[in-house]
Amino acid sequence: MVQSVKPTASTWCPGCGDFGVLAAAKKALVELKIPPHEAVLVGGIGCSGGIHNFLEINGLHALHGRLLAQAVAVKLANPKLTVIAAGGDGDGYAIGMGHFMHAFKKNVSILYLVMNNETYGLTKGQASPTSRVGYEGNVEQPFDAILTALSIPSGAYLARTFSGDPKTMTAVLSEAIQFNRDHRGYAFVEDLSPCVTYNDTFKEWREKVVNVEKLPGYDPTDRSAVFRLCLETMRDGKIPIGVMHRPPRVDGADANPLELKLLPDHVGPAEADIGIEANRVAYQKLLQSVA
Amino acid sequence: MTTPAAQTAPQPTESEGAQRRPSTLLSDVSIIIGGQGGDGTLTVVDLLGRYFRKRGLYVYTSRNVLSRIRGGHADASVRACRAPRASIKSKAELLLAFDQESIEIAKPELDADALVLFDSSVFKADFPNVLGFPFATLAGGQVGQPIYKNTAAYGAISVLMGFDEALTRQVIEERFKRRGAEALQKNLKALEIGRKAALENAAAIDRWSIADGEAHDLILMTGNQAAALGFVVGGGRFFAGYPITPATEIMEYLMRYFPSFHGVVRQGEDELASINMVIGAAYAGARAITSTSGPGLSLMTEGIGHAATAELGIVVVDCQRVGPSTGEPTRHEQSDLAHLAHLGHGEYPKFILSPGSVEDCFYLAADALNLAEKWRLPVILLLDQALSQNAATGPALDLDRVTVARPRHLTPEQLAHLETFKYYELTASGLSPFVPPGTPGVTSQVTGNEHDEWGHVSVNPVNRAKMMQKRMGKLVQARDDLPGPRYFGPADARVGLIGFGSTSGPILEALDWLEQEGIPAKYYQARTLFPVPEATLAPFLDSVDTAFVVEHNFTGQFARLIREEMPAYHAKLRSILKYDGFSFRAPELVEPVREAVHGTKR
Repeated sequence: MVQSVKPTASTWCPGCGDFGVLAAAKKALVELKIPPHEAVLVGGIGCSGGIHNFLEINGLHALHGRLLAQAVAVKLANPKLTVIAAGGDGDGYAIGMGHFMHAFKKNVSILYLVMNNETYGLTKGQASPTSRVGYEGNVEQPFDAILTALSIPSGAYLARTFSGDPKTMTAVLSEAIQFNRDHRGYAFVEDLSPCVTYNDTFKEWREKVVNVEKLPGYDPTDRSAVFRLCLETMRDGKIPIGVMHRPPRVDGADANPLELKLLPDHVGPAEADIGIEANRVAYQKLLQSVA
Repeated sequence: MTTPAAQTAPQPTESEGAQRRPSTLLSDVSIIIGGQGGDGTLTVVDLLGRYFRKRGLYVYTSRNVLSRIRGGHADASVRACRAPRASIKSKAELLLAFDQESIEIAKPELDADALVLFDSSVFKADFPNVLGFPFATLAGGQVGQPIYKNTAAYGAISVLMGFDEALTRQVIEERFKRRGAEALQKNLKALEIGRKAALENAAAIDRWSIADGEAHDLILMTGNQAAALGFVVGGGRFFAGYPITPATEIMEYLMRYFPSFHGVVRQGEDELASINMVIGAAYAGARAITSTSGPGLSLMTEGIGHAATAELGIVVVDCQRVGPSTGEPTRHEQSDLAHLAHLGHGEYPKFILSPGSVEDCFYLAADALNLAEKWRLPVILLLDQALSQNAATGPALDLDRVTVARPRHLTPEQLAHLETFKYYELTASGLSPFVPPGTPGVTSQVTGNEHDEWGHVSVNPVNRAKMMQKRMGKLVQARDDLPGPRYFGPADARVGLIGFGSTSGPILEALDWLEQEGIPAKYYQARTLFPVPEATLAPFLDSVDTAFVVEHNFTGQFARLIREEMPAYHAKLRSILKYDGFSFRAPELVEPVREAVHGTKR
């Protein structure tokens, strides 16, 4: 059997929150029995974006902020692939913000996993879009991706996890990837993943995280109820985690993610036979139609 | 140097301007139609173009519209000729004007005794030679809607130019049959109104007659449409782009064509998304394309460099317009070449292909896809506004001249015999093997960071040097693969012209004019602009005393590229430049060549 690329050893700092994500992602892929050649991990730029090198998987290392655009197209070009986009909060919520918003609108069945550490770790600790007021002189309000995602009408699967709780994270990633593989649409998971070097929030976050699933009134199909629970949790100085939106199965064309709308026969552009002979009759017809 | 619009232009020998009389026979005619946006000027151009084609004539249409949906001056022109012209005639015989502003704007483009046909229900034309009919009033009264004034005017023109009546009507039927019976009947009625009005005025009847041509079986289309068709047959199956004039039609055509072939078209949220979607699709193994114009190209530049370093083959169409910044979105220029040749930060290989005619857009679009995939780099298909949007007649597109080859795609058998699969394997040819993600038993790592053969990020200096040589070496190793130039004119001519893109039309017309003046000149139509095609340019430049590089920009960008790569020819190169947003007319090329040859005053 042909030998192809092997994973490399991680370059992360010891104790980095991203190790929790790596372990959970490995477990989820094994649990779902996804062979390495069928999965593509599109990595962003930043510490977390290097995750594609550390898994036995196909890796596409995108430009800074552009991983979602690339990941969406990989899925549309070959809908049989399992596609995960993974990067940091700077990559996704600053330089990549336009694509972050439009990914919900596109509704392609990929998982977008953001490792949020509230800092730019790779460039040594500048304020990021999610940094609290006061961090490294930050005077801007932190961006909240989950509240934003909840406010966008979409059929996306939404969750927030914490690297200090790998068991829950594995369950969430498995569910999200299976959601994609069932062609049910887009999944967005934000993992709270502390940077032990520039913003070590492990202890603080462990104390502050509150799983909304355990709160009275929780209903993962009701985004306004979950939105309210998140706001109430934050008002108390806590951080809401858990599955934020688990859309009910809806039948009919409106529920279809983009890849099924565009590719009703499930054959993507990358799989099409582009030989002239295979298409000669249709090509001749097309060329004659413009004469 | 730039030349002013040609007031002193020489006339071709078959000029009819001097002794015009009733029923002058024309073998080359130009008609301008002007009005406000929404007056239907483009419809009249389309109808006339269809008619002239049926008469075996070559047709070239151009348009001059403002970047807005309705209103503002809009004009368009149609030229019909027995000779294969793909250029705007220097002077028009007839102007159809829906307002006085159209006359003022078109004046410099009109022949000395041109006729202005105008809508007398709207205004009274101020011009020496006029003929007015109340098209809007007639259409409003007899068809029910004044908007049919354009078809009525087509009817009047058919009388003025001695059109065949049945053929004139057939054009209307073909143009409007898809709009339903009511639209067709109204247009036929409008045609009759216009014809009747003209026939009642002796001065209007058969003022000209148009010589029949021998060019049958031609097709009339724009470069954008031809490129879109080329992408389909060349195996393109993924397109992502952002609407931008004058490139948008490529996306719109592909939205129509691709779904039948498992193809996908996405309109991105911006050019950043679009280029990165194209990169993602190319990674997945699809032949992927984007099209844009100057401002979008600037935004895509980072992505194009990423594709080159990650070694993903993509095709980027740049339909050039007046820049920089928003510039003039609807106007013509060729000023992106220098940017493209030195595109982006860092150093990387890319090919720039330039079709010189509408049908060439079709063939080079397909070639671009083959080259991008084989050499795993960005290929720029360089168009310009005139080539993108002006419709020209050309031979039917020939599927047998298109090949789709995937020489670096490993078959399952080839893969089974490999010991290792390295996405960036160093080979003598510079080409690495390819399998798409999803191929059983194989995984790959692809990155825009510097990487080793496996795709692992690497800053090893030895590796860096090897990978730079691998990528940059493609510029040398691919030379025989790149589209060659086309040559026109007598081989022994000592005056050369060099051009690319839509300038080929006016240059070929200028060659004929120069020949009639006793100045033999030949033309090197460049189809690969980068890497600079030294192997073919050198013998061409050796064979002439002077070579005029014709281009639509201020600084002579192609001439500068040639000088940079081929400094020995510095003294032989002269530039003919135009950067006012409009295409060259033949006299603007003839004049500087004549001056240089005869040494007359500048």
